[in-house]
Amino acid sequence: MQTPNEIIHQPIRLKIMAALNTLGANQWLEFVSLKSIVDTTDGNLGAHLNTLESAQYVLIKKDFAGKKPRTRVCLSAKGREAFAGYIAALHAILALETLEPDVPTTSTHNNR
Amino acid sequence: MPPSVEEAARALREIDAIKARAAGFQDYRAESDQLLLWGLAHAVGFALSGFFPAFILLIWLIVVPLSMGAGMLLARRAASEIPGISWRYLVLIGAIFTFMVLIHVVMWPLTPEQGSMVAPLFVSALYVMRGVQMRPRYLFIGGWLAVLLMTGFVFFQPVFWWWMTTVYGGSFIAFGIWLRRL
Repeated sequence: MQTPNEIIHQPIRLKIMAALNTLGANQWLEFVSLKSIVDTTDGNLGAHLNTLESAQYVLIKKDFAGKKPRTRVCLSAKGREAFAGYIAALHAILALETLEPDVPTTSTHNNR
Repeated sequence: MPPSVEEAARALREIDAIKARAAGFQDYRAESDQLLLWGLAHAVGFALSGFFPAFILLIWLIVVPLSMGAGMLLARRAASEIPGISWRYLVLIGAIFTFMVLIHVVMWPLTPEQGSMVAPLFVSALYVMRGVQMRPRYLFIGGWLAVLLMTGFVFFQPVFWWWMTTVYGGSFIAFGIWLRRL
């Protein structure tokens, strides 16, 4: 059976990847907006973004909007590919379940 | 160890929920810009109507097209995130404008106060309908605007234009800020 990506298969990171995947290529989402969508704390989001950045799944850009510091996040091509693979793996698990025939138990066999 | 079928199904449901949440967020952000713009437009339009009641038609013939132009620019900016929003925006504003003209024709003669209630009440109803079908915050916005409009019309006739300037225009701006906070 195909194993889904372990980095993505974590509730918060899954939400981050799903939210960023709704944006087009090279579209950036502000940290505060992502925090609202994912519904988590600054620290938690920051920690999981670091994990995703280490895996090169997301790009993080820090700049200034006027005088205000701003952090923006974008899904990388590698991240998009990994997320597509993750979803495919989940669908494969579900499909396998529907295709698997019921295996007769030994006791049923012996009762004949 | 690969996840169980239940875990896989739960993860897919989670992805769908986040997709819907992200779409709602983008929708609210785009709407927020429009509310801020039209809040400002209404505040200016109603204040000018209060100061120069003899030029109401001229005032709104300037304020509305200018706001529509600015609104189109904002809609175009959101077009990459919400495909088709530009033409839908034009149709929507066109429908409100047409409705207002037709109501004036059918109900004529109307006092300036009555006439200025038509479009805002129609907008309130649109928000209520949109809220029922799509996103709950619009339901609250539509309901609240309708209550404010009727309160001003029934109880505050002597200061009607100032009511519309501060309370109606101000509410648009306040709701615009609210939609930015998901």
